[in-house]
Amino acid sequence: MRNVIEAESLKLAYPRHEAVIKSATFQIHTGEFVFVTGASGSGKSTLLKSMYGSMPISGGKLQVGGIDMNSISGSKLYKLRRHIGVIFQDYKLIKEWNVEKNVMLPLIIAGFPKDVCRAQARKLLAHVKLSHKSDKYPLELSGGEQQRVAMARALAHNPFLILADEPTGNLDDYSSRVVWDLLERANEELETTIVVVTHNIPDIFSADYRHLMIEGGAIYEIH
Amino acid sequence: MRSIRHHLALVLPLFAILFSIEYLLVFDRITDNYEKRLKENYSVILVADKSVKLSDISHSDTLIESVEPVDTETVLKRIKGSMNEESLEKIKEVMPLFISVKLRRYAESGRMERLKRELLSIKGVRDVHIFEKVHDRLYAMLLFMKTNFYLFGLFLGVISFLLMVKQMTIWQFEHKERMQIMALFGAPVWLRSGVLFRLAIVDAFLALAAVVAAMIYLVTDSKVESIVKSMGADPSLLLHFNDLAVLAAASFSIALFAAAWVVIRFKEEQ
Repeated sequence: MRNVIEAESLKLAYPRHEAVIKSATFQIHTGEFVFVTGASGSGKSTLLKSMYGSMPISGGKLQVGGIDMNSISGSKLYKLRRHIGVIFQDYKLIKEWNVEKNVMLPLIIAGFPKDVCRAQARKLLAHVKLSHKSDKYPLELSGGEQQRVAMARALAHNPFLILADEPTGNLDDYSSRVVWDLLERANEELETTIVVVTHNIPDIFSADYRHLMIEGGAIYEIH
Repeated sequence: MRSIRHHLALVLPLFAILFSIEYLLVFDRITDNYEKRLKENYSVILVADKSVKLSDISHSDTLIESVEPVDTETVLKRIKGSMNEESLEKIKEVMPLFISVKLRRYAESGRMERLKRELLSIKGVRDVHIFEKVHDRLYAMLLFMKTNFYLFGLFLGVISFLLMVKQMTIWQFEHKERMQIMALFGAPVWLRSGVLFRLAIVDAFLALAAVVAAMIYLVTDSKVESIVKSMGADPSLLLHFNDLAVLAAASFSIALFAAAWVVIRFKEEQ
């Protein structure tokens, strides 16, 4: 099985601070669904950021999709990001754009024609049960609805990897269920590799997914 | 409402800068035109011995454009009737050479005095006569206004530029979040900063249109026209087609610089 993410003695540190991740070695294979857990401030989100190139590598090696993140150039990084879906705890939707256009974002960036972007956005909004709110703006939606829009956006361009940072941290049970359900379906039906950073693994999961835990700057395989 | 405020925040300082530029252009033209007419009103006549070299005179001062001997035949013809040929010949013999001196530009009285001294120091030059119409006071006032306007324009330019920098900082803050999100999904620079550049181009166009409209209004205003005429200047000096090119270039380059400044300063959050 091909490695989608490969880290070797990975070290991550913010400027003038002690390293958050001191040495992490792990591999994530194509089609895997992986949970990364840890206490607050343990470096879960930092690790995720390094996977989409928002956090510089301080030491060791990290490869995402076969690309070395240590020496990646700006334009290559942007190209890589066009094949990754990211879900944030604070949704990161564009306030000035309506729901439909927000979902269309990765497709617009990829250069698809407008009608293709719109059709795909509508299909995904139907999946997240928000077709009736396609003309609304993010601030007119509840937190759960905003996260479902972010979920639809992350899936819009059929990415090979989805990185989710506490995707259900602020959500009610229903919205959490929709989000987890969509992530599971993307993983099962499209073989999309999913990495979810979370405080606790929800007990709603039927499958026994892989679990990595960060503690004391190191990463451990739980099962 | 918010959108109008957004546009005005850049359009107004840009309008002030463009208006200052246009005023400076107009003032320059009016004073240049006035200088030209003053120069034409000058008449410098030298009285010199016949042995004097014209090249000595023309090279004596950088202010001199050309020198030309005055034709004395016409004067002599006028007095011919009252005297006989012999007397006329004698007058011709003793009559000095009259030389007309043309100047390159208008010069104030102090400079003219210096020119006079220099001409008098040339061997063979007996006298220098400067005939001028009295324009010095009005010209001095124009020069004073021009200097003041340059200072005022500079001051206005600095204030307007500071206002624009302030607006750019607001832009940066307002667009940062959208640009961050687009960058996270791999949007190239041109795509994530497209809105900014569109905004800058629209604002540059609005400011340009406002300045042109204001200038057209002023040019067609009868009061302004009569003021310009009373100064002896041509009202057509107020608006030139070339100004449009200068103003358009200034407007678009300032606005695009503002947008580029925001884009360059964009840094992805960690």
